[in-house]
Amino acid sequence: MSIRVPLLVGAVILIAGLTLSMLLTDYHLRLLNLAALSAIAVIGLNFAFGYAGLISLGHAAFVGAGAYGVALLTTLFAWSPWLALPAAVAGTAVLAMLIGVPLLRLKGHYLALATLGFNVSFSIVAANWIEVTGGTNGISRIPELQIAGHALTDERSYLWFALLVLAVSAAVAALIHGSRHGRAMIAVRDDETASSMTGIDVPRVKLAAFVLSSVYAAVAGGLFAFHMRFISPEDFGYAHSITYLAMLVVGGEGSIVGAILGALLVTFLPEWLRFLGSAYLAFFGLFVLAILIFLPSGLAGIRRPRSFRRHGLMKWPALVAASKEARP
Amino acid sequence: MTDLIQLLINGLAIGSVYALAAIGFVIVYSATGVVNFAAGQFVMFGTFAGVAMLLNAQLPWPVGYGAALLAMALFGALFFVVLYLPLRASPVVTIIIGTVAIGITMQNAALLAFGSWPFRLPSPVESVNLTIAGATISGHAVAVVIVTALMVALLWLLFFRTSLGIGMRAVAQDIKAARLMGLKVNRLLALSWILAALLAGIAGLMLGPMWFADTSMGDPIALKAFAATIIGGFGSLPGAIVGGLFVGLSEVLGASYVSSAYKDLISFGIMILFLLVRPQGVFGERIQDRG
Repeated sequence: MSIRVPLLVGAVILIAGLTLSMLLTDYHLRLLNLAALSAIAVIGLNFAFGYAGLISLGHAAFVGAGAYGVALLTTLFAWSPWLALPAAVAGTAVLAMLIGVPLLRLKGHYLALATLGFNVSFSIVAANWIEVTGGTNGISRIPELQIAGHALTDERSYLWFALLVLAVSAAVAALIHGSRHGRAMIAVRDDETASSMTGIDVPRVKLAAFVLSSVYAAVAGGLFAFHMRFISPEDFGYAHSITYLAMLVVGGEGSIVGAILGALLVTFLPEWLRFLGSAYLAFFGLFVLAILIFLPSGLAGIRRPRSFRRHGLMKWPALVAASKEARP
Repeated sequence: MTDLIQLLINGLAIGSVYALAAIGFVIVYSATGVVNFAAGQFVMFGTFAGVAMLLNAQLPWPVGYGAALLAMALFGALFFVVLYLPLRASPVVTIIIGTVAIGITMQNAALLAFGSWPFRLPSPVESVNLTIAGATISGHAVAVVIVTALMVALLWLLFFRTSLGIGMRAVAQDIKAARLMGLKVNRLLALSWILAALLAGIAGLMLGPMWFADTSMGDPIALKAFAATIIGGFGSLPGAIVGGLFVGLSEVLGASYVSSAYKDLISFGIMILFLLVRPQGVFGERIQDRG
């Protein structure tokens, strides 16, 4: 793949986001910030689930690991935020490796329930290890990010920064998708036996996808901590893992654009359903269900031909069309 | 010693509820292949069906319990039509997200109907207390264990002694072959969902007097039922019973002897340990590598 697509994705995110940031009120900017941070986490989840086919219900725990790492390093040890963020991301990657080596031997719903168990355990520890995590009171007074002396305290300037990170994350993800490593992940998802026959080291590719997804999660978590400047265990419960997965499935798994659209839609949907009053969450569930039934390949699948199926397995007419498109 | 007896009975009682929830979950999983993440909300609906019939409608308990279970059976059939039929050909994750989405709807519908204030569901035997070796034991806890044992016996009779149950097992084993043998596959699949909803309803009615009836009670029960199924063995009915009792006992004993804050970590830690060392659980399905 050429470098053009990732650059285009990044540019579109920046332009659309900058335009929106001039039009919206502070409250909607805050939601947009949350959507952008979720989008980073969901692009990460897309490596594990969308490409490598690993059902992870523990993604929020990695977001939490990034957030708690940043919070502890800046409040307990008074590190600079810019130093704490890479350290927390690296720590989360190591954690993902330690968790991934034993757990990734499992498949399908076994892996789903094991990662769910990991997420629940993370929440229990975060809520009860009071000396370190502050228990359910959480950690407050996390310092704000500063760029060249300008503190990112208001929603608009933080959004600009979050969009920049999102654009870079999406572009890097698009590059990986187009590379040998991305194709190896997709091959492992489609057929493990066949891909190991062609010389792909399946456990290694799975672990790489899992660790990569945790790195994105930790970046999102660290930025979340600097944005809210207060974190508590309920921000990283397993319900959030399911939300991330729902964002990806609603947007269209295996698609970076879909991950971003899903994060936006699921973040803003409760807002748009507010006219339903206190019933909005009940309708939210039905709405997600309707998308699953009527748009089986998600929002990103709307523009694709019908024969381009959800699994990414193409029927032959689509294959012919795709090969025609590929010619110069 | 008297403490221990009391704890054991309470652990068995709460474990029985988890076991019934896990059995419902396993029946649906083995018949339809659906990992039902709304299983906890089913139990919550059972409790609130009891609240509606016994507290709001003030029915006498035999009528109220019957009406609550009838409502649950109808709900199981509705779930089959609204969720399972449209999504049955979808990948596993789509169905998982679908059941989660329905679960969110169920929880919030209950919240709208009953409010966030917890209810106390009465038990028909709550005035009865037994004394065994100096330990005072609530009649409800004993009744829960007895009812669960009865249900397990009835299920065994259904699955091994009636043509209906044998048909359900045939569908669970091989849908195509079952259809070729002339079984009414869809009807039997619907029956699995109804049975699961009924078991969840019974679990909910028995749980109501032990916990407060609260619309957010579904998620913790679902997690315990998942842990029970993994420990006992995915897809195995005896496994669901053993797993449920184990989770219940470890929760109650862990809370009083180890740490009440970390009591849930014990069952989830053991669940993850089982996944790593013996993923098929105590009695579980043989795991195939679908290459």
